[in-house]
Amino acid sequence: MSSESVKFPFFSPRRVLIIAGNTFTQLIRMKVFYFLLVFVLLGIGIHFLPELPHLSGPESVGPEELRRMKSMLIAVMKLFALILGIVATSLIIPRDVEDRTLYTILSKPVPRLDYLVGKLLGILLLIFAGLALMALLLDLVLHFRTQAVLAEWMQAADTLIAQGQWTAADKESARLEILHHGVTWSLQAAMLTIFFEAAVIAALALLVSTFSSSTLFTVVIATLCYFIGQFIANGRDYWLAQSRHGEEPALVISSKILVVIFPDFRPYGIADKVIAGANFPPDVLGSLALTTGLYVGIYLVLSWFVFSDKEI
Amino acid sequence: MSEVPAVEVTNLVKDFRGSFGRGRIRAVDHVSFKIAPGEVYGLIGPNGSGKSTTMKALLGLVAPTSGNCAIFGKDSTKVDSRRNVGFLPENPYFYKHLSGQETIRFYGKLCGMRGAELRRRTEEVLDLVDLQGARKRRLGGYSKGMLQRIGLAQALVQDPRLLILDEPTAGVDPIGSRQIRDLILTLKKRGFTVFLCSHLLEQVQEVCDRVGIIHQGRLVKEGRLEDLISIEDQTEVVLRNATPELLKCIRELAEGEEGVDWVRSGHPRTTLERLFLRETLPQEAAIDLPDDPDE
Repeated sequence: MSSESVKFPFFSPRRVLIIAGNTFTQLIRMKVFYFLLVFVLLGIGIHFLPELPHLSGPESVGPEELRRMKSMLIAVMKLFALILGIVATSLIIPRDVEDRTLYTILSKPVPRLDYLVGKLLGILLLIFAGLALMALLLDLVLHFRTQAVLAEWMQAADTLIAQGQWTAADKESARLEILHHGVTWSLQAAMLTIFFEAAVIAALALLVSTFSSSTLFTVVIATLCYFIGQFIANGRDYWLAQSRHGEEPALVISSKILVVIFPDFRPYGIADKVIAGANFPPDVLGSLALTTGLYVGIYLVLSWFVFSDKEI
Repeated sequence: MSEVPAVEVTNLVKDFRGSFGRGRIRAVDHVSFKIAPGEVYGLIGPNGSGKSTTMKALLGLVAPTSGNCAIFGKDSTKVDSRRNVGFLPENPYFYKHLSGQETIRFYGKLCGMRGAELRRRTEEVLDLVDLQGARKRRLGGYSKGMLQRIGLAQALVQDPRLLILDEPTAGVDPIGSRQIRDLILTLKKRGFTVFLCSHLLEQVQEVCDRVGIIHQGRLVKEGRLEDLISIEDQTEVVLRNATPELLKCIRELAEGEEGVDWVRSGHPRTTLERLFLRETLPQEAAIDLPDDPDE
């Protein structure tokens, strides 16, 4: 056989893509995924209804209405991404072991690293595709609402100008503020950070699933890590500030290790600031992408260490 | 130059840690055997005797505590050794979301196949296991026997030189079981090396050239099936065109000899099942087992 003489690749991107494609298809064809997606899309799509009665007071009009809408929709998207990141990842390896599908895959010439990377990539592809679909819908909904609010406010502004209460500058300022709460590049970047956050939690769940044999255990641990990760950086800062030995290298190193075990999700909270109307600095997006890559890389390497010696 | 064995297991030992890391359980205890290319080898043993662990060690799914396993001369802990292996685990469940055809294509792609070669090979193995009619159906709708056959097809997709089958007929009805047995015989004729473990001793006897009996992690008996099931202190005389008179004459001659009993003509054989029980039951119980199935 001619293949005998060919050196076997340590890592094959092609094989990774095959496993990723299969994982993507597997998750797409799972009923629970459809349920989750339909639920989220309905949550977003319902804002297309113009006559929807809302319980908000007079303060929830104009830019505030748009801000509240963005806040809610982004929260739904985040929930979708995190649930999928944790649950799908927690499910995938234990199920393959339980069903002995893993035997048939690893008994082919498939390095365990390829398998792990492929599985994670498949899940990330699905999260990205789901988020992209939702982002598209959110942009559409927000665009139409922004136009409606803008028309309403410009009409009111004209009346106020006629009454001498507003100037043309006030009108322009109001117009810019409303547009600022509409579809912006900052909002797209904020939605991308949701994907980054989900990628970190999925990689962490993958690591847990390599030594856990139970899906429930993985889900619980990954969820706990997520919540701890929301506060870990504040806790670390407080700890170092309170300690008289705050400058001690051992303490600093151990606190940094802690941040690797429980990823610091604080920087991903920038999406909330964008919803409130802040701009998304491009350099922050780059550093977040880098941080995400670092976390995913570290968790993948750790997963590989555990999984490469795992007795199946 | 001597031929490289398809499988070579040398002094394989596998220990598992007990609960909470306490103690060690020896699942495989210094097992050694070889399988020559083109041979059909059966590993038989009771539940928990170490058959599956031996297979897993051979496939690199578990790491040996000591000793080593090689496939066509390549260390089985290396991924490279699996290029020439097809494996069907016991009671396999494949991805239910895939159809039969998609399943074969998925495993083929994992083996580096693509394009026309993959399409051709997918059709070939689906034909071989007689699943062309169900190729578009998702595996969630397959029967147990069909799953075993699709499992066999995925094991064969890259045209491996060695096929490892763990209880290939477990839970399959007699017809499905017969189909799988016939498939193994077909593969044997085509020159495949097959390593199988099964509880169905009759089937092992039908298809295997050599057999190993493993009990409590140790290989207690190993050799050519013909030799193992032969009864050493009895002799079979095979004659062509012998007349009743001649047979009578031979019988009288034999019975005239002191200490010689005429049992019957033909080389008597025990069954593989009896051999297996004798090797695995406690000694006192095994003494009561007759050699001759007719007794």
